[in-house]
Amino acid sequence: MALFAELRRRNVLKVALLYVIASWLMLWFVAVTSDALELPAWSYNALLITLAIGFPIALLFAWTYEFTPTGLKKAIDVDQTQSIVYKTGQKLNAAVAVLLVLGLLAMLGKGFMPKFEFILPGVPEGDAPTSEKAPAEIRSLTLDNGLKIIVWPDHDIPNVVMYNFVRAGGRNEYPGITGLSHFFEHMMFNGTDDLEPGEFDRVMEAAGGANNAYTSKDVTVYQNWFPTAALETIFELEADRMENLAIVPEVVESERAGVYSERRTSVDNNNFSRLFEQVFATAFVAHPYQFPVIGWPSDIEAWTIEDLENYFRTYYAPNNSTIVFTGAVTPGDIFELADEYFASISVQEPPADIRTVEPEQRGVRRLLIETDAQTPLLHMAFHAGSAADSQTLPMTLLLNILAGGDSSRLHRLLVEDQQTAIDVGAWQHQGFDPSVVYFYLTLPPGGDPGAVEATVLTELERVAGEGVTAAELAKAQSILLADFWRGLATINGKAAALGDYEVFHGSFEALFEHPDRVETIVADDLRAAAAQVFRRTNMTVGVLQAPATEADQ
Amino acid sequence: MMRSPRGLVALLLYVACSVSFAQGITLPDIERIELENGAVLLLHEKHDVPLIGVQAIVRGGTVSDPEGMAGLSSLLAGLLQKGAGDRDSAQFAEAVAAVGGELSAAADLEGISISGEFMSRDAALMVELLADMLQRPELDADEMAKLRDRSINFIRAAKDTNLGALVPLYGAAFLFGEHAYGNPLEGSEESLARIRHRDLLGYYADHVGADRSVIAVVGDFEIAAMTELLTSAFAEWRKADAEPILIAPPAPEPGRRVLLVDKPGATQTYFWLAGPGVAVDYPQRAELNIANTVFGGRLTSMLNNALQLESGLTYGARSTLTRPSLPGSVAIYSFTKTESTIAAIDMAIDVLEKLFAEGVSGDLLDSAKNYILGQYAPRLETSAQLAGAASYLEHMGLDAAYINDYGPAITAADSETITAVINDVYPQPDELVFVLLGDAELIREDVARYGPVTEIAITDPRFRP
Repeated sequence: MALFAELRRRNVLKVALLYVIASWLMLWFVAVTSDALELPAWSYNALLITLAIGFPIALLFAWTYEFTPTGLKKAIDVDQTQSIVYKTGQKLNAAVAVLLVLGLLAMLGKGFMPKFEFILPGVPEGDAPTSEKAPAEIRSLTLDNGLKIIVWPDHDIPNVVMYNFVRAGGRNEYPGITGLSHFFEHMMFNGTDDLEPGEFDRVMEAAGGANNAYTSKDVTVYQNWFPTAALETIFELEADRMENLAIVPEVVESERAGVYSERRTSVDNNNFSRLFEQVFATAFVAHPYQFPVIGWPSDIEAWTIEDLENYFRTYYAPNNSTIVFTGAVTPGDIFELADEYFASISVQEPPADIRTVEPEQRGVRRLLIETDAQTPLLHMAFHAGSAADSQTLPMTLLLNILAGGDSSRLHRLLVEDQQTAIDVGAWQHQGFDPSVVYFYLTLPPGGDPGAVEATVLTELERVAGEGVTAAELAKAQSILLADFWRGLATINGKAAALGDYEVFHGSFEALFEHPDRVETIVADDLRAAAAQVFRRTNMTVGVLQAPATEADQ
Repeated sequence: MMRSPRGLVALLLYVACSVSFAQGITLPDIERIELENGAVLLLHEKHDVPLIGVQAIVRGGTVSDPEGMAGLSSLLAGLLQKGAGDRDSAQFAEAVAAVGGELSAAADLEGISISGEFMSRDAALMVELLADMLQRPELDADEMAKLRDRSINFIRAAKDTNLGALVPLYGAAFLFGEHAYGNPLEGSEESLARIRHRDLLGYYADHVGADRSVIAVVGDFEIAAMTELLTSAFAEWRKADAEPILIAPPAPEPGRRVLLVDKPGATQTYFWLAGPGVAVDYPQRAELNIANTVFGGRLTSMLNNALQLESGLTYGARSTLTRPSLPGSVAIYSFTKTESTIAAIDMAIDVLEKLFAEGVSGDLLDSAKNYILGQYAPRLETSAQLAGAASYLEHMGLDAAYINDYGPAITAADSETITAVINDVYPQPDELVFVLLGDAELIREDVARYGPVTEIAITDPRFRP
């Protein structure tokens, strides 16, 4: 007890406390500033070791020496009646208090430590939207390497959605590598220098996350859905595969078999997809939209490791991607993590533009697939504009009127009244480049594709001449507006919509102009779009049906 | 690898994580009102977007289809939209579309459900349309004939284009035999063709009524106003004429057997390996879901790992639990090219054996728990989802604890209980029922090793051999 009392008297305990707190602050400071000051990686450990060695020395010093009005003296030499250890102790207490407050402020956020700001640049806050229509809480930021990040905080549920839009799809392919974009989407889950194939998914699922991806004719999109707690894990995983993807020959072969299996299910054993593939291959003679996203069978079997490596270098660059986060996050957290994980990924030469423009079609094109089928299929494609084309929105409204649901013109006519079709739908491929408006019909067994085609054409020509009624337009506008709100009711829908507008319409902010744009469309815009697109010379017709038997001849 | 500050962040995130997980798995307070005629109304306000979600369920569904008329309740569900109240079929569709609404009805195993979503300004119209569908459907004979023929042709179209979706239909029929759980939800070409207009009218009178219905509405409205709307729309609804149909628990025939569905020219084989399962009230639901998540319920599941990732035999393999009010099924489903049919099926059986041998423990157990908890919240995110969940619980006789106690139960699950549940629920490999759809000529001989083979042509108008 006497020793403990003497330790207290000589302020050794206070010095120990002060030393620990000061050391902790120094270590913290080095850790947070090491990147900005470009300190070598060993600095932190060196400081830690130095401080650890210094600890007993400091204690010994405190035990041995004592401050006096005449300077530093050995404690045993000090006349105890003249000792000012009490005053020194008060100073030490004050120092401990000051450092503790500083430390707590530091823990609460770097923003509380203004003296760091000139050394360590603050986390960028990102840009707020300029449009008044856009929710004010959205932030966007483009890193120095060209990667654009958009964040829409929404704390309704404790989850986050991340979409990474990579501008690489079927249109970036050519004969010999068709399907490579889609194959690459699979390879992105197949391991890096550090992670074995399958590990990406295992780590993500163990953290509570799930993922998927899809490839279209224009883009490849990677989707992650996860609880907020998994945020940093997701950053680690995504940065790792962007920087360190492994392209291992055995893995490529296993995945090749998997993709072939996907083709068998989604195309070869699916009459709709077989016809769809052939209609695109016929409607386009020059532009790469003619290639199936899954790839031609011979290309799936033949692409090489070198093709994959070239493709990765060219397209999987930060300057060719846009990442969207929605959900229970703050822009500050996202930008800080992005700075830590994505900023070091190096910029690449931008991919070459797609130069080929599809020449104008000057006559109807037809194709027939004869196969085992009870229900004949009829597909009709007409060349139209790109996603960003001003005629695309009127066309979307028009297609709604023609084939959107049970009250649409073609459904009423063909499915309900004539019963010459059991199903009819319409869709416009909205991509970077001009593509097609697509009608797809399923006929009852024994149905006559020629007769149905003629009926559809008559209806399309009618709308090109007479236009639509005010009530029809109002209905289509209501449906589009309701769809807009439905899309924004989930964090997933928000991420999809933000990314879609950023990538295909030039800015995510355009998303929020959509309701107004829908309202300003007039009936004649629809008629004009119909007149331009629904021409026989602009049409490709595909039919799939059972081969004619002798009895039919 | 991690420096201390990041370790600290990770620690804080970990703490936040356990809080946020729990936060995601609770049903908000739902107001419950039972009308005098027995109809139950469930209401909850949610104002984030100007939408209202609705789901109504009428108990009955496929299990109440009359003998030999599978698909009748499905046909009725479709017909509820083909004219109701003062509107004929075209006008009804027009009324929904004109305001950008969505409203559709479908039958499932134990009920007919109507789901919809409308802009909040159209709340009154939504209630009017829903009330008309349930209480004043036209059930017009011509519309019925048209819809019946179209439904038959949809099955034929699926046989051309959507083979994977058909396999569970053949599967249920083969596993459950003559029991109602073996009936195809939307009927077969044969059973639909047998349904006449008077059968449909009789079914509507007997089985659709307030006493067996629940209506859940969630979204951007005031509870008082919505209660008034719903009460005045449904208070006069009659009760159904007949007592609800009670069915005996299914008793699938034990032992291995094979159904081979012949689709000449198919380049791959779709397979469904199944056994009897458990009911919705199975007490160890959390443990069972953990087991199934690990076995075949996610991307890195044992089945997907073996059949897709490691061997490239397929690009998707999964296991599904069907849990209606009486014991349902446990099924493994995948597909592979015709030549690797046996290799893929054998591998799936090996994986099942591995599940029995290894159970679920350690990191894998933690991973499955995190995955289930982390993916739960988005299932209760929208008004429509909440309306769906609330009506489902009421319909199945469950309460909010079914959801609210689920998170803690997942967290508490231990590997011993999970092993016991696996042994209790999953079929032993030598008890599996096999349903294969593919080119019979090429696989007929090989698949005989799994048990006695029954064959049916894909063009056969039935799903039950």
